[in-house]
Order: sequence, then structure tokens, then C-alpha cells
Amino acid sequence: MLEVRGLSAGYEGGDVVHDVDLRVDEGEAVMVIGSNGAGKTTLFRAIVGLRPASAGRVHFAGDDITGSPAQEVVRLGLSFVPAERHLFPRMTVHENLALGAYPSRPDPDTLTMVFDLFPRLAERRRQLAGTMSGGEQQMLAIGRALMAKPRLLVLDEPTTGLAPKLAAEAYEALNTLRGRGLTVLVAEQQVPLAMALCDRGYVLEGGAITKEGTSADLADDPEVRRAYLGVT
Amino acid sequence: MTASILDGIVLGLQFGLLATGLTLMYGLGGILNLAYGQMAVVSAIVTVSIMEAGLPVVPAAAIGIAVGALLGFVLDQTVFRPLYSLRGEARVLLSLLLSLGVALMIDGFLNWLFPLKGLSLFIGGGAIDVFGEPMRRGSLLASGITIVAMGGLVAFFRFTTLGRAVRSVIEDEEGARLVGIDPRKMLRLILLLSGGIAGLVALTRSMVAPVDVTAGFGITVFALIVTVVGGLGSITGALAAGIILGVINAIAASAIGTFMSLVILLVAAAVTILVRPAGLLGVKE
Amino acid sequence: MTDRFSQASGTSAVGGVERRSTRSWSGVAWPTLGVGAILALVPLWLGDSRVMMGIAVLGLAFAAYTIAFNLIFGSTGQLFLCVGALAGIGGYGGAILADVVGLPIVVSIALSTSAAALAGGLLSWVAVRRSLGVIFTGIVTLIFALTFENLLLGLGELTGGESGFLMEAGRGTFLRSQIPPYYLMLGMVLLTLFVYGSLRRSRFGWAFRALRDDEVAAELAGIDVARYRIFAATIGAAILGLAGALLAFTEGRVSPTTFGFAEVDVVVLVMLAFGGIGSFLGPILGALTFTVIDELLVEVGQLRVFIYGALVIALFLWLPRGVVPALDDLLRRRRAGS
Repeated sequence: MLEVRGLSAGYEGGDVVHDVDLRVDEGEAVMVIGSNGAGKTTLFRAIVGLRPASAGRVHFAGDDITGSPAQEVVRLGLSFVPAERHLFPRMTVHENLALGAYPSRPDPDTLTMVFDLFPRLAERRRQLAGTMSGGEQQMLAIGRALMAKPRLLVLDEPTTGLAPKLAAEAYEALNTLRGRGLTVLVAEQQVPLAMALCDRGYVLEGGAITKEGTSADLADDPEVRRAYLGVT
Repeated sequence: MTASILDGIVLGLQFGLLATGLTLMYGLGGILNLAYGQMAVVSAIVTVSIMEAGLPVVPAAAIGIAVGALLGFVLDQTVFRPLYSLRGEARVLLSLLLSLGVALMIDGFLNWLFPLKGLSLFIGGGAIDVFGEPMRRGSLLASGITIVAMGGLVAFFRFTTLGRAVRSVIEDEEGARLVGIDPRKMLRLILLLSGGIAGLVALTRSMVAPVDVTAGFGITVFALIVTVVGGLGSITGALAAGIILGVINAIAASAIGTFMSLVILLVAAAVTILVRPAGLLGVKE
Repeated sequence: MTDRFSQASGTSAVGGVERRSTRSWSGVAWPTLGVGAILALVPLWLGDSRVMMGIAVLGLAFAAYTIAFNLIFGSTGQLFLCVGALAGIGGYGGAILADVVGLPIVVSIALSTSAAALAGGLLSWVAVRRSLGVIFTGIVTLIFALTFENLLLGLGELTGGESGFLMEAGRGTFLRSQIPPYYLMLGMVLLTLFVYGSLRRSRFGWAFRALRDDEVAAELAGIDVARYRIFAATIGAAILGLAGALLAFTEGRVSPTTFGFAEVDVVVLVMLAFGGIGSFLGPILGALTFTVIDELLVEVGQLRVFIYGALVIALFLWLPRGVVPALDDLLRRRRAGS
């Protein structure tokens, strides 16, 4: 469904991400793990069209989306939830969700689905997004992305700034979505959570993929265990 | 006193509406458009020229407003185009300089071609009493049109998908892109809309006092003051500040004269910027 | 944006930053004297016409305005849209002190120049204290300019309102003769140029080149940004006040349009765009070239304003460093090529 080949991207001074190959098949959940500053955010921003790639190609569902701006990529069925969420703070929860379906009117079934998934949002539908807690904002960001009825949901560190309990809740929701057949690509520092969700994973270090494999293989890898699972 | 307040409200409504155009261009696209008043003047001059050619006022006014909107679109496609590759303060500064150039071009051209032209829409009929004060029909009609237009704008931004999309770009441009909104298209829409607003205000203004070819700079300054006091980028702030400043202006003008009342407005604007840089209803960056 | 306008263009005296011999004053003195020598010849050519000499004096006043604006905006990034108002404080202040209060002319000029300097320094202090960016500094100073204009109109008993007033002070002296005022103004412009050039080569100029490259780094290196900004604004405003006062005394009258935003600030912006923001000789060359163009275009009437508008757009879009530096570059390249 998503195929990234030889992707390099970065800032004017130089590339942060080098020659990355990555694929996500339909129905899969795939993780990209790596420490802070490994280039996960830059990689994802280049994939979804928020940042130009300096080399390589990105294909999504048969289309070459390399260089397509984010606002066009989302129309093809690839929704991105950035770590900073980028909600509309002075709009209500409902308005935020409604805009997720732009340019169409929000589909009532999808809205019900989102509210079932995150009952908190239903309770607070008239509250301004900017006044909600971090956990609620994360739910809203995921909910807003779902409103576009994506085929692939890409999340950059969905647990940023969340307490452990809320982080676990967010992953529970993602698990539910997986169960309904949504394809997921997630970057995460809290590796155990991501491993429980995902079938496969990539390890990104210094801007390059250093390992890949099934979650089980990665969990058995001594280096991964040492670096990301806190096992000595 | 009541008369002054009512006059102030009439003026304030118009400047509140006018300022929404300026504030939207700034909030959405980082464009400080100093040619805004000239856009209003172009609408007025087009309207009066068409009326002189023999068309009735309503179609002439409609064409005038359409030309104002078209001018906004043309600016977006031509002079402002290079702005979109810049970001932040650089964009605002260059927009200020380029639109100043546009303002000079329009002013020079109109003063050269129609040095004496001005639009004055006279609304006949006797005065109508409002709170015991006789009000001219022109003022009332102008206020009525302005209030309807404001209501329309507020409804547009609150309830329509497109209006919400415009607001979303002001709130978080990246967030807007992530839900599929193209900020450039929204900006184009806003330039079109603000040109139309400028045209409409020129027409309603001309029901109260003539709008002539030299009025552009003054209109821009007024709109700028209202925008700054209301908070750059805030629609409701612009509407509220327009009415507040309109009333202050009218009361001061009747008490100490036009020039000194302008001084008071200017000082009020300066104090607002210094005390609350984000404006009365703006949010902190 | 300021760095987009003021990128250094090698070692040209016109184009940009001097890298050689930063300690030597001769690099400032020689160009200044050269400009002075050429401009000193103007009366030989135009001296017969009172009108032309008046225009020449006005051109010199604008040269001083443009240098001062360049010092404040080009060197320290403060968008002062109150050039006319600060000059007006000098002009109206001097006229009122001499005519109404009855002070000697020299004292009046000194006091009104100080008042302008104080106003400029205060505006800058406020902008620095409230950390207003370029845009808000522009808006606040524009408001200041409009306030000044409306005060002139509103305080008609003191200022003569819309028509201004004819000054008694200086009548019958050399200030109202045909040619000497030109040299007085020229002396002032050369002094201004020298001061500006020296500042560029002093620690001040160095500090601001550092600042332009990286504000944070400059601050870390111990450059007191706020102090330099206020200093530049004060000196610039003093130049504006002095030029305004001298203009008032040589013209023998003051009026709101002599110091209006549309009549002064807009023109100075065009002149600076022409001459090149941040360069040494660019502003004066821009101002003088533009004065000549303005005179040549006087016949087309209002269409002139249209042409200036088009010029502003074209200059800021395609030659943001200015016409004069661009020509200078071109000449250098040719010379190097041949």
C-alpha cells in the first residue's frame, strides 16, 4: 500500500534522513522505532508531503506521491497525525472533527464511529480544542484524521507528552482500529506499546534504517532489547 | 450625545466590516495590504462611472463590488505572487512595500484620469426618528446593509465548511493542510472576498458622505487602526473595535473637532498596541 | 527581510559592506569629499533659476532624510514610517521657537533638532522595550506620523492649520537668498554622510553586521542590541530634525504637506529602494537621481504617482538591493572583464 524507496530528506544544510526503504502492506501495522533525533519526524513529514524529499520516491496505493503536498496526499486516503497534533485550538471538538472530512460534509457514521472510539470527545463536542488536556487533544487529532476515512493512518509519536495510562489508552484505540482492518504506520519511542500493536518494524538510527523485521524478531534482537526495551 | 453615539455606530459598523477584510488577509496570508482603501475607491469610481453611463444604481453597485473583488483576485495572481515563497515577517514586510506601490499606482491613475470624480449615493426621503434622534435614511440604509453583510460573514465563518476551512488556516496552517485544505486557495478566496467587502463599504459609506478619488489612503489608515485595535487576525475583534472606535470618534469629533478626534483614535490605537500587542480580542502568538 | 535588502556586495563603496581597512577614516572622507565636490558645482549650472535652486535644496534635504532612514531601517532594521514627522518636529519646532517664542535662529534649530532626536530615541526605546517586530514598529511609527499630521491640522492657532505659516525669522538674511542656502544644506548633507559612513566603520557598524547575520549569536557575543538600536534611531532622528529645520528656514515657510507621510515617507522609501538599502553612497545617489527624475516627470502630473508606484513594485521585486548597487556591480564586472 505504501512503498518508500531510497528516500532522503532534511533541511537546507543537509539531509537528516538517508536512503530509506520502507513498505507497508494493506492491513498491516508497521512501526518505525528510534531514539530522539533519529529522523523519524523528518522521514514521516517527507512521506506525507509536508517536507520535500531530496531523493527517492514514495508510492501510495499505486500513485506516485513524491513531492505531492500534504493537502493532496490526504485526499488519496493517507492521513497523518503529527506529534504536535496541529489542532485548531479556537474551534470546538465538533468543528475540528467536521474539518477532518473536508471538503465533504462529515459522514454521520464515521462521526459515530469516532465518538464510540473516544467517548470523551462525544462528551466534549462543544468544548474548544485548545482548552482540552493533552490526552484528549491526542484523541481529537486521531479522530480528526479518521474523519477523512483514510486507508492508511500515519502517526508520529502519538504518546508524546502523555501519561502512561493515557498512552496505553491511545494504543488501545489504535488496536481497535487495526482490528477493523485499518492499515497503520507509527513512529514511536515507547517501543513496548508499539510492539504490541505492530506486525513488523524498522529501526531508524542516525537517519538510516539499521534493522527491520517482525515485532517478535525485533523483540528478540539483543541490540534492540538493550537500546529500546531497557533490558540489560 | 445620543446623536453622536448613533453617528458613531453608523461609522463604526462600516469600519468594523472594512477591517474584517484587512484582518483576514493578515491572519490568513501574512499580507498587510496598504492598497485596501484604494480597492474601495476603485469600486466607488466604477460604480459612479457606470451610473453616469445610464445604468440604475443597483446593477452599477453590483458591478462596482464585483470589480473590487476582481481587483483582489488580480493582486493575488500578480503582485502578491512573489510573497508566497516568503515566510513570517519577511512576507509581511514585502507585502507592505508592494501594496504601497499598488496604492500609489491606483491613486496616481485615478487622480490622473478622474481628478474630480467621487461617488455619492443620495438616499431621498425624510429623516426617521431613532431613540428620539432624527436619522437620515442614507445612514440607516447603510447601517442596515452593513449589519446584514456582517451577519452573513459571521454565519459564513461559523457554519459553512468553506468558512471553517478559512478559519482553520488562520488557526493552524499545517493542521489545515493535513485535513486537505490548500492555504493558497483560501488566501485567494479571502483576497476576492476582501475586495468585495472594500467595495461594499465604499458604497454604504457614500450614502453618508462622498467617497472621492483621494479617499483611499484615509480608508486604509482607518481600517488599519481598527484592525490593530481589534487584534490582527481576529474577525470578531475587528467588528467590535470598529464600533468602539466609531463611537469614540463621533463623540470626540462633536466635542473637539475632526482632527483632534483623529488624534485621540490614533493614540488609543498606539496604546492598545503597546499594552496589548495582540489587540483587544486577539490571541497571543 | 532586512538581510535580503542589505546583503553585502563585496567591497564596493556604493554597494555594501567595506571589509578592508575598517579603521581608516579615509575610506569615508574621500567619497564624502568627492560627492561634495560634484554637488558644489550644481549652482554653476542651475544658479540662475530660483525655482531650480529651491528644488536642489529640497533634493538635498531628501538626501539627508534618506541617509537617516537608511541608518535607522537599513542598518538596524527598525521600520520608521515617521521620517516626515520627525523632520516636521525639526521644521515646525524651529519655526515656532524662532517666530512665536522669539528665540535666536541657531538656538531654535538646536532645540528642535534635539526634540526630534528625543522623539526618535523614545520611539525606538518603546519599540525595543515592548519587543515590537519590524511590522509593529512600522505601525506604531505610522500612527505617530499620522498623529503629528493631525496635530498640525488640529492646533491651527499655533501651526497655521492646513496652509501652515510664513516665517518672519530669517527674513532678509542669507537664508532666503538664492544660492547660499544650497551650500548650507550641502554642508549638512556632507556632515550627515560623514557621520553615517564613520558609524558604519566603527564598532557600531561591525555590531550590526554581526546582528544581521545572527541576532542571537550577536547578543551572545556581548553586543547590546537594544542600545545600538536606540542609538541609531536617536542619531537618525537628529539628522531628520536638523534637515527639516534647515529646510523650513531656507524655504521661509512650513506646511503639513512639507512633512506629510505621503509627501515624505513614501518618497524616501522609493529613494532608498532606488539607492540600495544598507549601502553607503546608495541613499544619497538614490535621493538625487530621484529628485531629477521627479523634476523630469513633472509634466505628466498625477501619472507621476502611478509611475512611482510601479517603480516601487519593480524595485522591491527585482532589485531589492537597489538600482545603484546593481549598476555598480555591472560596471565592476565590465571593468574586470575588459
